[in-house]
Amino acid sequence: MIKLLNVSKIYKPNTQALKDVNLHIEPSEFVSIVGRSGTGKTTIIKILTGEERLDQGKVLVGGWDITNIGRRETPWLRRQIGVIFQDFKLLPKKTLAENVAFALEVCGNTPKKIDSIVPQVMKIVGLEGKLGRYPHEVSGGEKQRAAIARALVHRPKILLADEPTGNLDSINANEIIDLLLRINKFGTTVVLVTHNREVVNKLKRRVVTLDNGMVIGDRAVGKYIL
Amino acid sequence: MFLLSFVRIIKFGLQDIYRNIWLSVVTIIILILALFSINMLLTVSVISDTAITAIKEKIDISLYLKADAAEEEIIALKAELSNLEQVKDITYISKAEALEFFREKNKDNPEILQALRELGRNPLTPSLVITPKSTDLTDSLISELNKQDSELIDSRNFTDHKLLLSKINNITDKVKEVGMIVSIIFILTTLLVVYNSIRVAIYTHRKEIGIMRLVGASDWFIYMPFFLSGIIYALVGILAIILIFYPFLGLLQPYLEAFFSGYDINILSYFNSNFIFIFGIEFLGIALINVLASLIAIRKYARV
Repeated sequence: MIKLLNVSKIYKPNTQALKDVNLHIEPSEFVSIVGRSGTGKTTIIKILTGEERLDQGKVLVGGWDITNIGRRETPWLRRQIGVIFQDFKLLPKKTLAENVAFALEVCGNTPKKIDSIVPQVMKIVGLEGKLGRYPHEVSGGEKQRAAIARALVHRPKILLADEPTGNLDSINANEIIDLLLRINKFGTTVVLVTHNREVVNKLKRRVVTLDNGMVIGDRAVGKYIL
Repeated sequence: MFLLSFVRIIKFGLQDIYRNIWLSVVTIIILILALFSINMLLTVSVISDTAITAIKEKIDISLYLKADAAEEEIIALKAELSNLEQVKDITYISKAEALEFFREKNKDNPEILQALRELGRNPLTPSLVITPKSTDLTDSLISELNKQDSELIDSRNFTDHKLLLSKINNITDKVKEVGMIVSIIFILTTLLVVYNSIRVAIYTHRKEIGIMRLVGASDWFIYMPFFLSGIIYALVGILAIILIFYPFLGLLQPYLEAFFSGYDINILSYFNSNFIFIFGIEFLGIALINVLASLIAIRKYARV
């Protein structure tokens, strides 16, 4: 589903973010990418979403070579994958339901389809009573649920989660991880980037460990080893 | 698909305006102030043009005729001169009328009136007062009049007219040059203020623009609602300035009429007859600046 082949990335002037990274992620896998801050975890997410270009290597997403993806193609890539962020990245002047609907609107879905899908997805993430609330009116956990709903609403094959629990307390963090596990059960490939040791150890799934931009560990059922 | 996206763009554009109502109100107020300034500049320009024309129209050319010229010959000469293409109007002033005007002009000067009485006869000559079609034609009219070889003509010394006209033209040209420079600086400043206010409005949306890109919105889908908002701001600004500026002109008009007494000045009718041109150009200009400012600002924040 995702292939990174000898990927290197240098941020100007000379910060090596990734160095010769090889990573294969199969469909329906749940992979945690762990490591200290600044080890290149988020750079991988940014490369997979077309936000950053790599300096060397090759990247394939669902068989699509996105190594040299153009600006015009980037929206198409982003519509195939769902992404959630530590800071939620919800549109502040739209309600939670409108935020979720926006992901469908940019794809050109009909209002009828949007009206039918959005409440269903909001129910899956446990926000059925808060469709009309604005992001500033709900808790951090609820914001992240809305962000997950937005990421899922166009039924992506891949869900990228960049430190999704970073701004949440442990109860909300566990709920979000449980939600990601449920999403994975439906067949969605989940890539979780985190430095939350507790979360990773509890998951008992594949763990890829990065250090100084290099993969230093890749275990099928791993633990946070740093 | 296209229609659906178009409808959504309109929806998002309108949503952006009313969900950021204070920002929208402030932006529109800045546009109104800018438009008011530009229209004030235009009003001042129209008034100064009227003033210049009024001064120039004061300069007419008098052709003094022999004292014993017969009235029918004068009328014939008047008709002949009326055929000249530079002539707008000719007024015949008879000896008697000239004396009447002279007495009226000097009614507060008893010494002159006494001298006139002592003279015992009318010393003034009849004349033809010629008004050119435009002040630009004065030179060519004077040269035409110099060519006239009628024996009725007593005096045709036009040197003073030429000198005066040249001085006036010199002053008005300078006034126009300075006015043009001031107008350009003023308009550029105004447009920069508008440009900057739109950029500030977009700056407040910078995070949203990035988020839209991250969830897969195309450039078109991101840019168009902001362009639409910019066009709506321009439209509201123009409608507001029409509602504000016309009553203002209505208040100004009596003062202008009093100041330019005897001259045809109607600032309201000037704006009425050029309504589409003035407000159309202003709308297009402001809308263009808004769209341009949006384009530049969004490009900066949509690089993700």
